Amino acid sequence: MKKFWALFFFFWPTVAMYCCLIAPSRGWWFPSPPMSRTGVQIDGLFYLILIIVTITFVGTQYAIGYVLWKGATKEQDSKAMFSHGSHKLEIIWTIVPSFILVFISLSQLDVLAEIRVISSFPEDAQKPAAKIAEVMARQFEWRIRYAKPGTDLTTEPSPGDLYFVNELHVPTGKPVVINLRTQDVQHAFFSPQLRVKQDAVPGLVIPVWFDVKEVGEYDLVCAELCGWGHYKMKARIVAQSQGGVDNYLKQLEAEQNEDGTKAESAAE
Amino acid sequence: MATVTPALDAHGHADDHSHGHGHHQSFISKYVFSQDHKIIGIQFLCTTLLMLMVGGALALAVRWQLAFPWQNMPVVGQLFGLFQTEGGQISPEFYTMLFTMHASVMIFLVIIPILAGAFGNFLIPLQIGCDDMAFPILNMLSYWFMWPAMVCFACSFFWAGGTAGPGNGWTSYPLLSDLPQAAPGSGSPQTFWLLGLTLVGVSSMMGSVNYLTTIINMRAPGMTLFRMPLTIWSMFITAILQAFALPVLTAAGFMLVFDRLGTIFPTTIHSVFFIPANIIVNNAEPTVGGGQPLLWQHLFWFYSHPAVYIMLLPAMGMVSDMLSCMSRKPVFGYKPMVYSMAAIAGLGFIVWGHHMFTSGMNPALGMTFMTSTMMIALPSAIKTFNWIGTMWGGDLKFNAVLLNCAGFVAMFIVGGLSGIFMAAVPVDIYFHDTYFIVAHFHYVLFGSTLFGVFGAIQFWFPKMFGREMNDTVQKWHFVLSFIGFNGTFFPMHLLGIAGMPRRYADPYLHGYLSHLLDMNRFITISAILMGVSQFLLLGNFFYSMFRGKKVGRNPWNANGLEWTAPSPPGHGNFDIAPIVYRGPYEYSSPESDALGQDYILQTVPHVAGVKAVAHH
Amino acid sequence: MSRTPSLNLFVLAFLLSAAAMSGCSDSAFDSSFVYSPGTLDLMPEAQNGSKDVHGVKALLDERFGDPQHLEAWLKMPIDFGGTMTTVGEITTAESGIPVIKLGVEEGISLPEQAGSIQFVSGACAGETLVVSQWDPKTGEANLAAAPSQSVASGDICFIDRGTVIQSGRMLYMRHCSHCHGTSGDGNGPTARYLTPKPRDYRNGVFKFTSTNDMSKAARDDISRVVKYGIPGTYMPSFLLMKDEEHNAIIEYVRFLTLRGEFERKLVAELSSDYSKVALSSRLKDEKKADILKELNEFLAEDLKESANSLGDELAEIWATSDTEEALIVPSIARIPDSTESRRRGRELYLSKALNCADCHGIDGAGNGPQTIAYEKNPTTGQLYNEAGLHDVWDNQNQPRNLQLGMYRGGRRPIDLFRRIHAGIKGSRMPSFKNTPHEDIWNIVNYVLSIPFETEPGGTGIAPSAAAAAVTVPPAN
Repeated sequence: MKKFWALFFFFWPTVAMYCCLIAPSRGWWFPSPPMSRTGVQIDGLFYLILIIVTITFVGTQYAIGYVLWKGATKEQDSKAMFSHGSHKLEIIWTIVPSFILVFISLSQLDVLAEIRVISSFPEDAQKPAAKIAEVMARQFEWRIRYAKPGTDLTTEPSPGDLYFVNELHVPTGKPVVINLRTQDVQHAFFSPQLRVKQDAVPGLVIPVWFDVKEVGEYDLVCAELCGWGHYKMKARIVAQSQGGVDNYLKQLEAEQNEDGTKAESAAE
Repeated sequence: MATVTPALDAHGHADDHSHGHGHHQSFISKYVFSQDHKIIGIQFLCTTLLMLMVGGALALAVRWQLAFPWQNMPVVGQLFGLFQTEGGQISPEFYTMLFTMHASVMIFLVIIPILAGAFGNFLIPLQIGCDDMAFPILNMLSYWFMWPAMVCFACSFFWAGGTAGPGNGWTSYPLLSDLPQAAPGSGSPQTFWLLGLTLVGVSSMMGSVNYLTTIINMRAPGMTLFRMPLTIWSMFITAILQAFALPVLTAAGFMLVFDRLGTIFPTTIHSVFFIPANIIVNNAEPTVGGGQPLLWQHLFWFYSHPAVYIMLLPAMGMVSDMLSCMSRKPVFGYKPMVYSMAAIAGLGFIVWGHHMFTSGMNPALGMTFMTSTMMIALPSAIKTFNWIGTMWGGDLKFNAVLLNCAGFVAMFIVGGLSGIFMAAVPVDIYFHDTYFIVAHFHYVLFGSTLFGVFGAIQFWFPKMFGREMNDTVQKWHFVLSFIGFNGTFFPMHLLGIAGMPRRYADPYLHGYLSHLLDMNRFITISAILMGVSQFLLLGNFFYSMFRGKKVGRNPWNANGLEWTAPSPPGHGNFDIAPIVYRGPYEYSSPESDALGQDYILQTVPHVAGVKAVAHH
Repeated sequence: MSRTPSLNLFVLAFLLSAAAMSGCSDSAFDSSFVYSPGTLDLMPEAQNGSKDVHGVKALLDERFGDPQHLEAWLKMPIDFGGTMTTVGEITTAESGIPVIKLGVEEGISLPEQAGSIQFVSGACAGETLVVSQWDPKTGEANLAAAPSQSVASGDICFIDRGTVIQSGRMLYMRHCSHCHGTSGDGNGPTARYLTPKPRDYRNGVFKFTSTNDMSKAARDDISRVVKYGIPGTYMPSFLLMKDEEHNAIIEYVRFLTLRGEFERKLVAELSSDYSKVALSSRLKDEKKADILKELNEFLAEDLKESANSLGDELAEIWATSDTEEALIVPSIARIPDSTESRRRGRELYLSKALNCADCHGIDGAGNGPQTIAYEKNPTTGQLYNEAGLHDVWDNQNQPRNLQLGMYRGGRRPIDLFRRIHAGIKGSRMPSFKNTPHEDIWNIVNYVLSIPFETEPGGTGIAPSAAAAAVTVPPAN
């Protein structure tokens, strides 16, 4: 029975590892490869940590299994080793992990700065023209405001602004910035495929930049509890060529100035 | 024991001990409003075990919704008559109430009080060799303040017939929790919830003042700081954490209450600590204010991150004691263990910002908090290595205590390693508020703390009741809980990687999550297994209390002072006031060999002619 | 390790419960429709009828069913789903079960998939048969089991009848019912916390429509609201729903609306003579037995007949509301936005004739004198407890604050035009259909400029760069 318990502690990390190994093939992994430049960097850091963590996980879990196995197979009546510890070991397992942890820490800084520090944004993202839309979160939807084509986005609404809901159109291949705000409580702008997440905080206007690599549709959901309809904030980011976005905005402008005298079908 | 008595007499401490207290007590003063730390500890233990089942039931309701979204919820759908017209289909705000109350109950009414309240109370005087706590009345009050807190939580949950409980998460971020219109439960129920929180805080604070004083002033002669068991060290450090962090939460709670009172007393009390201007919620008038919601997050996490260690350190200490005893081996690296606990506590005060990496706070702060958070993994790693070192080469006793402790270490490793992903800000940007976080903190709070507590209940049960728990049942309980636990929480890492956000009543609405329903069903079935297996623990606990095998003073052949007292100890604990001659972990030492046993009580003076030679 | 018998039992019990649980996972949303307060105010005999005659409840259930068994009252302008077709040639498969050829009439397009066939005429009328194999090209359907009676060529049947309304219901229960209620009464569990209240469909009134003031809502109107939400309320946007899901929900909303309206109309036939209140006053000089006899006669003859004609009325108005006839089309294109147009708009806004400022306030803040006056409840004749306007649902009805730039019925000029032309149905915003269209456009231009005014009523501000593009060059 003792051996059973030792094996039990070998068994479960093995099962856990197996689950992780088959996870990508079962769809229990990232919803898609990273579709933005920062997403690629984030995934790189994730896999770096994953490798370090996996080695540590396997090492320590099997170490537990091993010491239990040693205890289980010990001869009857043999005494426990009398030891209060080992300075040498303590020093080793203080210094080695601290180096690894500092290494992990330092490896994050550049990416963090590029994602969050406004002065470290890519140069293109710092231009006013990169600011393509305001995303106003509210219970329980995303209200999008674009500047009138040909003008720059203003922080507060201007006449001629274009409005839409739950669908954000962005051009691909270049950094874009959105002004993230909320009308009521806290929300979070989360696109799993783009690996973008930023809380929308009442009273703040937060610039968020990202670049989308490929044309396509990406999920946009809320990742900060915002009330009973938190799960309902289903939206999408539509990535198109610059021309596609321009056409879309033109069409949106036409719809928004609809006066009902033309054929009604144009409004839809 | 025979060797102890003369020494005691020589020091003249025999009068100190407390048979004199054995005067007649009424049932009420002995078992209800008792000032005896042991009774208070057991009261805490029974109450928290009850609350564990309540919190577990709430969790299962949450799991039901995730496995069978919008399907007729068993019991809840019909029992209260809440959702009969919807055919037992719960409402989305009820789901938010369920997870909010699950967390509130588990954190404030189970994990914190079961460690500090139950075991802290029971063990501190016994392990340091004094007759009771420094302030027995304060101690009694610290238990009885839990009840108004529970009443407040119950009021808030059952407000408006159970349809408008607080649904803002246990973190209660404003403005959701600040503006009464923002959510169904953000009116009076939220105020009750905050009052409950404050009362729990009062209870904890009374406890920690008591523990600090008792540990500093009332140690038995010879019980130097570095002869204290690690349990005592952990309780000591926890008490410091609580004493310094709690005031911040209490203050923040009152700030939130004052903000909220504006709806009742708009002209007298209407602060706007957390309310910015021009916010329109639920079509109400735009807010007037100049507050900042992020302030709450800072204040809240300034308490609640140290609180994570309040919820963990005592378990670490107890596991160290139990592992050493069940391995018949000294704790590997006693002082590094103490220093790393101190380091965890110290660093614990400067890592709160890692809960806010996506909150929009200054990114420079993010870098600082990332580094300090990474560094807190270091003492945790040291402790892990030392636990494994403690078991290494030991004469392991494969009972449920050892298994639960080994489970503790194994689960703590998982919880610690998954924490590294979240400490790294860029990676956390992806994982923040996904199920990865849910997996992480359940590995720490349930996987570590509760497995440690399961072991500790069995380990100290003989001291509490003079009887022992059935080990076979405990092994079953361990293996079923362990399988259920890992079946529940390990897959949540994968849900998190798949990008499933927390607190979604219906994640499958989103195309990229809809394929995860099967995995969520598996998780729910595992959670039911885990939940049901807790009845084994409860059954064994209450059965053994009255029918368990009677045991003597020291059934585990352990070294600590508590094992020199009768089982259960009378009022005043020790029949002979103990004097301490050695550390608590001298198992299998050459000196004990000389006595023909593999343990040597802390009260045993040095044996002439045998030198304690140990590997250092 | 010794396993005690009790432990074995325990493990077994767990496995069974887990199995039972996974088995019941796909049960549909069990729920029931509630009857309107009007129905419940009738005397019990009028509600429930007797053994031989249907009361209001039975008449309603007969035509609309309950959530688990929805009835398709084909008269109603609702797309219940399914394809109506006629049975053609009948052959017999080797197993002895008939193979039916469907879709013999011209111009009928057969669905890609077919799960069941329901007969509405012939010997098998009312019977539903499961299709085991379906060929959409030839229209040949192999049946899973033989019908109880023989099927004849020329029998009329439906393929997959009611699939739209069924899926609409499932979606409605998932997305809508917690606010709008299972019966569409706007009284789901979440509803009580929301301001404004979720719509009670049963009046048959939808606020924001493209149709004229006498018409109901068109499908497109409901569709717009579901798609884009209503800003400033808790009605969120369901933009990303698939088209077929979206349409199914709209059909189900129409179903609930018609059910509610039909119920109201039935009650209206009875309430003057047979409500609980009427009964108690009639009992002063009539005998209960006489009243009951009279009621039974009324239920058996008059009401049964009028049920059909009421259905026809409803069907007609809802069907016409969906046509071009009902749509509001401005007779002239939008007057280009200019300072002049805005000034004219403001004059009209303040004018005695239109008197917009009476509710919306002189600077458009939604704080006109009407918002502090006390109104009379039209049904009870009592003053309301709180000041301000009230809508037909008896909820407080705040005039829109036009300074916020938030337009619940849509922000396109045509949306605002229609709000003014037809009014906002059910609310206190009246119809200004007799106002010349040119004037309405001027008001629209003024209203759209309010959020950007630099001072209240500041029509003097230059039209923005955006508006300048469409400004007519001043004649000089």
